[in-house]
Amino acid sequence: MRNKYILAILLIFTILFLPSCTKQIPISQNRVVASISSDIESTNPLFAFDIDEGTISELLYLSLVQHGWDFNTGSMTTQPMLAKSWEWNKDSTSITLYLRDDVKWSDGQSVTAKDVIFSFDVYSDPLVQSKLYGSFKHFYTDTSMHVDLKKTFDVINPYKLTINFKKSSPASFYDIDFPIIPQHIYKNVSRKDFVTAEKEIKPVTDGPFELAQWNKSQSIILSANTKSFLYNSDNIEELIFKIVPNYYSQLTQLKRGEIDFMQDIRADDYPLLRGQNNLKLTSLKGREYDYVGWNNLDPEIYKQTKRIVPNKLFGSTVVRTALTYAINRAEILHEFLDNHGEVAFGPVAPIFSSAIDTSLKPLPYSPGKAKQLLASAGWKENKNTGLLEKNGREFSFTLDIPSGNPRREFAATVIQNNLREIGIKINIEKLEPEIFFQKMFARELNAWMAGWSVSIPPDLKQFWYSKLEDAPLNVASYQSKAADKVLEEIESTRSEKFKDELYKKFQEIIYKDNPVTFLYWINNLMAYNKRIKNFQLTPLGPYHRCWDWSVR
Amino acid sequence: MVKEKSAGWNGISKLLLKRVLASLVVLFLMITFLFFLLRIAPGDPSQKFVSPDLSPRLAAMVRQSFDLNSSLLDQYKTFILNLSKGNFGISYTYQVPVIEVIGQFLPFTIIFSLICFVIQISCGFVLAKFVVKNINGPRDKIISKASLMVYAMPSFVIGVALILIFSVWLNIFPSSGLSSFDFSSYNFFQKIFDYVRHMVLPVITLSFGGIAVYYKYLRDNLEEVYNKSFVENLRAHGFEEKVITRKHVIPNAVSPLIAVAGVELGLLFGGALITEVIFALPGMGRLTVNAILSRDYPLVLGCTFVSGVLIIITNLAADLLKAKMDKRIVKGILN
Repeated sequence: MRNKYILAILLIFTILFLPSCTKQIPISQNRVVASISSDIESTNPLFAFDIDEGTISELLYLSLVQHGWDFNTGSMTTQPMLAKSWEWNKDSTSITLYLRDDVKWSDGQSVTAKDVIFSFDVYSDPLVQSKLYGSFKHFYTDTSMHVDLKKTFDVINPYKLTINFKKSSPASFYDIDFPIIPQHIYKNVSRKDFVTAEKEIKPVTDGPFELAQWNKSQSIILSANTKSFLYNSDNIEELIFKIVPNYYSQLTQLKRGEIDFMQDIRADDYPLLRGQNNLKLTSLKGREYDYVGWNNLDPEIYKQTKRIVPNKLFGSTVVRTALTYAINRAEILHEFLDNHGEVAFGPVAPIFSSAIDTSLKPLPYSPGKAKQLLASAGWKENKNTGLLEKNGREFSFTLDIPSGNPRREFAATVIQNNLREIGIKINIEKLEPEIFFQKMFARELNAWMAGWSVSIPPDLKQFWYSKLEDAPLNVASYQSKAADKVLEEIESTRSEKFKDELYKKFQEIIYKDNPVTFLYWINNLMAYNKRIKNFQLTPLGPYHRCWDWSVR
Repeated sequence: MVKEKSAGWNGISKLLLKRVLASLVVLFLMITFLFFLLRIAPGDPSQKFVSPDLSPRLAAMVRQSFDLNSSLLDQYKTFILNLSKGNFGISYTYQVPVIEVIGQFLPFTIIFSLICFVIQISCGFVLAKFVVKNINGPRDKIISKASLMVYAMPSFVIGVALILIFSVWLNIFPSSGLSSFDFSSYNFFQKIFDYVRHMVLPVITLSFGGIAVYYKYLRDNLEEVYNKSFVENLRAHGFEEKVITRKHVIPNAVSPLIAVAGVELGLLFGGALITEVIFALPGMGRLTVNAILSRDYPLVLGCTFVSGVLIIITNLAADLLKAKMDKRIVKGILN
């Protein structure tokens, strides 16, 4: 009897487990598998708030134009997409677009001017709360920033329309560069409930890929849209985004060939991947930088009265400059990032080569110079404690960093040691990221370390404009009339050449004022399977024109 | 005899009613406490709408649509009113009703937990029975030491080690996920095999610790019962060892374990975060932690409520099982 039970159990286990012991089928199909660390929340471009959502929605829905990258000038170029050609009027306040007549939605309906107008309408509707809400600054809008459709659009025929911008506005292609959504699918959806109602609707798309499957928390499978004018039967049939939350699991799967592409690889794992014959490693110049924030205003007074009073420690340009001299940025870059990046001296990324002021060089690490500057600002060393003092006040403060970021934890320790050398005592406090960012945006922190990823083209006003209500990201509360003037000029200028000059002028101002200490630009380290061909690496992201990828 | 039986069932139904009422009160208090705790704690659900790419006006509008600008008491009233209709609200992250989100993650967690639970109990039992006749002998010493080692080992170490051995070196099992990309094109049996292939490593990872726990409990209980005088008495009366073990020792040794098993199963239903993260599985643990990190208040409350209900149900089931085995327990609990 007992033997019978054992036999039965063995049989069940054999039936279940034996087939599972076969080797995994190697990825030989015409597909590429990329890893992402968390699931997306929406494939709809209206609500594509994070990077992966943006990438996926842009592969599903076509925009009017697409951008390319000119490595010579370090700027974007504009190429046709849904619009096959265009004409700007003389003063660049209106553009006539000629749409392709061979683009169909996945349900067979044609993509026409109606869809374009509807998209502008929905994206700018305050009830919808899309990711572009409030961005239509160069358009005729009502007081709630909703685009005025009558004033803005002239439809000549289903495939030709004119978009009129505000008379004085410096409109550009960036104002019309977003995915278009189908009017016939969403026209009856209540605007107030759009965000929830659209989840019930099966995506109807017109991009180079279609949504084949979305297995929640597992994978998003896109299949090539064989009806698209971008389709080429030699290229990949499927692009799969596999959700792997654990970084080390991603690395393991990359080595095993379970995934073909991974980005944001840590510098210390990079040498280990070099020995992998199946992988090609690449380092993309980054748009992301780390900085030490010095609150230029007194956080306590600002919190209570909203008055801008210079910070007792960091309100002085001389002190901030001294602190920049005192931090060994090259050491952090070398030790932690294995030199996959470059020391920063301002907020304009090195990728914008025509806008970068090459005459400026990062301040060198010089504790002597730092001490000298601090002495000129009245900070003298107390022989007993070894710390700097001014009017009986010790130079000590708390440096807040978000927890769970090894790079910032390492950098904070280096900074702590560097500043201790010149007589400044800092206490490092790790805050849970949500709490950290809430305090940072409320301008409650005194000194902190964080990072920014800059947009293309660079949008500096949000970060550095003195009027804090208009610059929610000016968390250091930097105040400069000279910088404000340049920022206003950048905003109202059409000429790209003149803009570049203004960017350079702005960098000079920032270089002198050191509102924060810019640490380093971080390269995006990536690895992809050698079987992927036509992989184009530009600052526009690794998936730029990924429909042209093929596999060996 | 009939009278006694009906009195027993009456006791159990009384017990059931009493426990359900008490559980409802506990759930209500727990949800209320959590509601206020979440809102008092630092953090802002509209934080993700503050970014260089988004208009500053958007975050303000989102706050309003999340009803975060009204007073705490008003928010609580709305929450309770909605809850009374079985509505936890809309998840801030997923923008669909909370129940719908949980519905996508809960079935996996329940199946995964039950499989692990059964494996833990049965392996623990088999091992305990294997050593019990040879207490302090070499097999007992080896298994006890090994179980202690396994119990002390964090699940992420076990998970990573299993991936290294079975996925990287031997290339037998996939290292993550619940199914293959081509799953939808498989037939029924292939689908089952595919699930099994993906679940082997996570199930082993999550079961290891539990096996050690149940083994230790059962081993000690069995040893204790074997040493009791009534077992000696039975032996003296000439009962067969097999009969003594099956009819007398095992029921007495298993009974105290039921309460522990009830709690353990409830905890498993709450999600196994580490295992879910390592193997990229769509479970309640990952869902809850992500909801907490993104300050998705309705989803945190929904997940907590569901976990609470499951823990209560499993404990209640354990009590009922114990009561069924020993009617004195009903009296004890009722008193």
